[in-house]
Amino acid sequence: MARNGWSRYPRRHFYLFVGPWVAGFLFLTAAPLLYAFAVSLTNFDGSSPRWRWIGFRNYVELFGDQAAQAALVRTIGYTAMVVPLSVAGSLGLAMLLNRRLKAVGFWRTVFFLPSIVPMVATAIMWKLILNRDSGIMNAVLGVAGIRPISWLVDPVAFYALVILTLWGLGGGMVIMLAALQGVPAELEEAARVDGASRWSVFRHVTLPMISPVVYFQVITGVITTLQIVIQPLLLAETSSISTVGQVPQSTRLYMVQVYQDFFLHNRFGYGSAMLWVFFLVILAFTLLVQRSSRLWVHYEVDSDADR
Amino acid sequence: MNGSEPISRRRLLTGAAAAAGGAAATSLLGACNAGSSGGSGGKVTLTVMFSAADLPKESIADFEAKNPGIKINLLEFDATRLNAMLASGNPPDITIGAAVGSANTNARGLATDLTPYLEKSRVLRKEDLQPVNNSFRWDGRRIGQGAYHGIVKDWSQDATLWYNTALFDQAKVPYLSDSQPTDYDELLAIAKRLTVRQGGRTKVFGLGVEWAWTLYGPIATMILQQGAQLYNGDLTEVDLTTAAARRAFGWFVDFGRSGVGPTSLNPLPDGSDQSTFSAERMAITQDGYFFGGNFVKDKALSGRVRMAPAPIMGDKRVSPCYSGQGAWIPVKAKHKDEAWKFMEYYMAGPPAETRAKSGWGLPSLKSLLPKLPQDLPYQKQAYSVAQRELQYLAPLPDSPYITVDGWNVTLDKHLQRAIKNQQSVDAACASVTTEINRLLKQGKERIG
Repeated sequence: MARNGWSRYPRRHFYLFVGPWVAGFLFLTAAPLLYAFAVSLTNFDGSSPRWRWIGFRNYVELFGDQAAQAALVRTIGYTAMVVPLSVAGSLGLAMLLNRRLKAVGFWRTVFFLPSIVPMVATAIMWKLILNRDSGIMNAVLGVAGIRPISWLVDPVAFYALVILTLWGLGGGMVIMLAALQGVPAELEEAARVDGASRWSVFRHVTLPMISPVVYFQVITGVITTLQIVIQPLLLAETSSISTVGQVPQSTRLYMVQVYQDFFLHNRFGYGSAMLWVFFLVILAFTLLVQRSSRLWVHYEVDSDADR
Repeated sequence: MNGSEPISRRRLLTGAAAAAGGAAATSLLGACNAGSSGGSGGKVTLTVMFSAADLPKESIADFEAKNPGIKINLLEFDATRLNAMLASGNPPDITIGAAVGSANTNARGLATDLTPYLEKSRVLRKEDLQPVNNSFRWDGRRIGQGAYHGIVKDWSQDATLWYNTALFDQAKVPYLSDSQPTDYDELLAIAKRLTVRQGGRTKVFGLGVEWAWTLYGPIATMILQQGAQLYNGDLTEVDLTTAAARRAFGWFVDFGRSGVGPTSLNPLPDGSDQSTFSAERMAITQDGYFFGGNFVKDKALSGRVRMAPAPIMGDKRVSPCYSGQGAWIPVKAKHKDEAWKFMEYYMAGPPAETRAKSGWGLPSLKSLLPKLPQDLPYQKQAYSVAQRELQYLAPLPDSPYITVDGWNVTLDKHLQRAIKNQQSVDAACASVTTEINRLLKQGKERIG
């Protein structure tokens, strides 16, 4: 076979380098995916040996499952709200703390701290704060003459979940802060010397310079937010498996529905079909964001595709 | 492969796909085949999946000392992990589970028939088992008869009430009878009198029904108390549009609308009545005998609590057990004989006696009943109430085709809608019937 180009290292080095990743991908990603697909073609209940192949019946049922479809729409709506808010919030906080302030290190720590508190502790704290009868939130509102609000039930529970999610945006703030500190000061100064307003400097200099980091935040945010399951469960009434049944409708996201079918109804086959469809949905959203990045992400170096 | 051969993308992808497919197939087959577990050095390692709180280190050490050939490997109970272990054919040797709802586990062929062991045992004898153990019996079609597939650890008359006499005194409400059941409608009326509101917030709840724990238990009980049936003969269909079912469901709607107690529309922060009752912010809680264990160390509260019989809806007294935690041995357990030894030790040996003396639940064995605590006045009063209630124990209906959790989710969803006036009680009962029947049909298809 003809060889084009030249080779500096023996071919086996290639395999040695990619080997660990390929092995990890095969056994921890590809194999579980295929396994889940196989399970999705069965009526497996998660433990009993009495399962059988049922073809694509689970998929057919899923396309007529109104609860699952409603959960999917709700999840997309939740993502559309949370991702922009968390990206904008973390960028706003980062800009606020990227200035020469007194005790700036202290404030950075204060805003970062919630993101390293374990989610379970954060959820319990918010459940106590938002409890209708004994929570501090209603006590404070009561002072202002506002009637108690049932924060943890429909329809307000959705906003309680948003608050819980945004509580940890300090993590994103640190990444944004690092990006902002990488923006060359001379570029912003040059723009200002040329008469650009503060907004124009931000819009036309700062934002393009940090756009790869914003893109990273958006794409990881979309993927993780679509898959959220723990937070709605923790905000619900108790913490056992049956909790999933007590998750309010407004916070019943797609993965909550999947969890319910897996562990409450023992429908591992149907749950696997739900996961496969969701995998394709997430893939589609990821590709959409990736495609859109060509329009708004600025790289300081040319990508291979642009050469 | 020649190390200097050019890399073919197709070959790499083909090889990767083949490897992934192989790995997936191995996993799938692994789910069907038995794995392995066992001991070393002549000692059997018994894998016990229990809640660590239920199996203290002292009990493990005591069991191992009395059974030198057995070493216990304790796994903290985790339903997801248990599922995975069962699916892979490598389950623990013994694990915990509730008697009520065990029909589903048994119909799926997961639990070992313990009858041969029981017949040979000199420690655990059938005639000594409390009737609550009948919920673990399964004859291939229904519970209550046939082979034993588990032994109850401890249990409770879960519909019985505990109440705070100080809060009754404050509201000038007479105490509940120790021997006569309170009618459910009367109980709701009492709860309204006991509820204290301040600025739109509830300062004292009149009645807690442990909404987050189970709705199926009390609703099924109410239907039984009216002399009606929940399921059809072969447990494949339900009908909640009957007058008895609508009355039971309607009571919960009234309860939710009245705001006298926590519901999923006004949940407690910890989802349990215990902390609210202990803080004297709840006058009555429907929590069963076991709840008395909470007051042993609370000297102040123990002087103000009393137990009352299970309330009634209709003419037939029924004081059921909603759960009855126990232990069972998976069919594919590797060390069944050793697991049975552990079962004997745990259910009839020193741990059982310690549990009985603690008052955290009623013992599974008749012979252990006298061990229940009667040192404090409230313990003595609760003991006498519990003794009288024993005669009204009846098993809750249990279809193999649905789990109790499946019931609870469906009931809660439609109760919420009815409480919020989004649907009538009749419409809600019709919807519950449709949805439960769908779940039953799915379960029947899976189990066959």
